[in-house]
Order: sequence, then structure tokens, then C-alpha cells
Amino acid sequence: MGVRDEQKQATREKVLEAARDLFNETGYEETTIRAIAERAGVSVGSVFTTFASKAEVLSHVMDKRLGELYAEFDRVVPFLRGSTADRLCSIFAIHYEFETRRVKLFLAHIAASYSPCPDPGVTPYGRNERLTQMLREVLEEGVARGDVRSDFDPQLAIDVLKAAYAWNYRLAANRQASATELSALMDKQIQLIAEGWRAA
Amino acid sequence: MSFVSLNIESPTDAPVKLTRRALAKQRTRERVLSAARRLFTERGYEGATIRDIAQAAGMSTGAVFASFSDKSELFDEILTADYEVIYAQMKQAGVNAATVEEGVIGMFAVAYGFHVEQLPLLQASIAVSWTRSETAERRNRGHLKHIFALLNGVLTRGVERGELKTDADVKLLAEIIWDVYVANYRRAIFDAWSVEALLSRLSDQLKVILAGARA
Repeated sequence: MGVRDEQKQATREKVLEAARDLFNETGYEETTIRAIAERAGVSVGSVFTTFASKAEVLSHVMDKRLGELYAEFDRVVPFLRGSTADRLCSIFAIHYEFETRRVKLFLAHIAASYSPCPDPGVTPYGRNERLTQMLREVLEEGVARGDVRSDFDPQLAIDVLKAAYAWNYRLAANRQASATELSALMDKQIQLIAEGWRAA
Repeated sequence: MSFVSLNIESPTDAPVKLTRRALAKQRTRERVLSAARRLFTERGYEGATIRDIAQAAGMSTGAVFASFSDKSELFDEILTADYEVIYAQMKQAGVNAATVEEGVIGMFAVAYGFHVEQLPLLQASIAVSWTRSETAERRNRGHLKHIFALLNGVLTRGVERGELKTDADVKLLAEIIWDVYVANYRRAIFDAWSVEALLSRLSDQLKVILAGARA
């Protein structure tokens, strides 16, 4: 990597870190690119040479965070034990534990997922293949073990799980619900759906 | 809709004879609302300022503020008007249904049919609903209760008919159905799904959600 590339990379890191903190402290809509540049100690122009828009900054902030989270999952998932429902409960509990550290940031991420952005490199919530893939593997393993009915369409269960997972964050937003409370609610939702997929 | 404001419990004003002044005021309100609806649809919630709205309505910013205290009140008023249009139809679909599936799909067919026609406004309302102030959110949650009452009714009648188990967790089922209904809008937004495609997916998802609760 040349000096120039290294500088660019350093700017990028600083911008992402500043944006992550500002989005979470003051909110996504309220944060301007100017404020991000100021916090990062770089010029407004250099933010725009790296990112096309604020939406793209948000997407990359989340990408980076989720990258770290999913690296952790790669380590953890092989050691999950218990029924398919138990495994899913663990996976979502880890998500809640991680995302409730920066609730406002995650809410902005969900809000953005209803507003398509034409900029390249924007991955909204719901389009993250890693979460979908992880859930699919757990469900398919469940089928293989005879824990989940074989005529069960995993994609439909994934739809339902992801929808419930995201919506539960409202409790964190409105009532400052803790990760433990969110996980407890998600556990109930998973158990409810699991009653339908259990092999007869 | 739901994530929206509806003040259907607020007492309706007794009919009063409108003075010319009151009529003029009402016309101003309507002009502001129609300009605001157009701008929110074109630019989203954040993108439309009170100044833009006033300009589009052909009046001063001050005149807008004489009718509405702030932008969020204006936005809520538009969503409330929309909600009132579809609430009665959703209720009818829910109450008259012979099965849980017919009730749920009937209710959301009304909602999808209405909102898919004006997706940008819906997107703005969902985005705002995730990032609103606490006061706005409290008001919003009060409104959601009405939709949940309809959904709970559909499910409870399913229990009474022996379609669902007597110990089915109606409240939790209603929540999950709602979550999926809202999440599906992303398919309309990103993948241009039609109302029929959304309903067919919702119907499949509903089977998964209800499978364990069937008697």
C-alpha cells in the first residue's frame, strides 16, 4: 500500500468512527457531513472523496460493525448446542447484546432500510446476506437432525424472524429496554414459530 | 397507517355554522395540507421544509404556522387522514372474515392496496416512525393500538371458532404478524413487488406463524 492509499485508508477509518459516534449520540438526520468531518479532524471535501453521501457513510459504518460481529459468530456458531430454537435464541441474544450498545445507530440503520439509496455500496438492513445465511444454516441443520419438519420453507421462517428481530428494537427506543428484555421477547417469538416447525 | 397518527378517539366537533373567516381558515389548511402531501411524497419528510411547503401553497411561512404548530403536526395530519380512509375498510375486512387467514389477509390487502399506490409517503412515515421524538412515539403507539385491536379480534374469533388453540398467545401472534406486514414493504420498495405478490408472501408467512397455534 502506497503512502497515498494509507492516508486514504486512515481518513476512511476516522470518518467511520466519527460518524458512528455522532449518529448514535445526536441521531442520523441531525448529523451533517460537516459535523462528521469536524469530529474526524478531516476536511469536508475528503469525506466526499471517500463516500458519495451520508447514506453511504451509514451503510459503511454498519458494514464495519457487522463485519466484526459476524467474525465473532464464525467462531461461536459451531459451538451452539440444543434445539434449533435454542440456537436461534442464542444468535439473536448476541445480536441484541451487541446492538443495544448503540441503539440510536441501529435504529437509523433500520429506518434507512425503507429508503432506497442510489449510491453504490449501500447495504440496508434486511439485505445482509450473512444474517440470512446464518439463520438458513441453523434451520437446515435442524432439518438434517430431524428437529425441523422437512417440508418447512426456511426462507419464510427467516422472513418472520428478521421482521420480529428488527421490530423489537422499538422497545429499546421507547422504553430503553435492555438487551436481556429484548432477548426474552425474541425467545418467546422464536418458541411460538418453533411450535409450527417441529417435526411431528 | 398504524405507525401513524390517528385521533379517532378524539371527540368530533359539534357541527357549527362556519363563518366566512372560519371557512377561509379551513381553505388555507387544506391548501397547506395538499402542498405538504405533494412535497413529502416527492422529497421525503426531512427533505421538505415548512418554507418549501409554504411556497408551494402560495403563502407565507407565518400563515402555515398559524394553522400548524410544526412540521411533525402537519405530517401527522396527512397520515391521520389516510389512516381514516383505510381504517374502516380494514375493520370491515377483519370483522366479516370467516377464517383467521381471510381476516388477516383481508385487512392487510386494504393496507397494501392503499400504501403501495403512494410508496414515497409510506417510506417517509416509516423512516420518521423509527427516529421520532419520544412524545411523537408515544402518540404513535396509542394509534397502533387500534390496528392491534382489529388483529386481536380476528385471532380471538379464530380461537372461539376452534380454529386456533384455546391457549394460543393472541397478543404475541398479532405482534409477529404486524412485524412481517411492515417488513414486507421493503419488497415493494426495493423489488417493486405488486400488492398481489406482497399478499401471497404474507399468506405464506402467516401459515408459518400460525402453524403451531392451530387447534
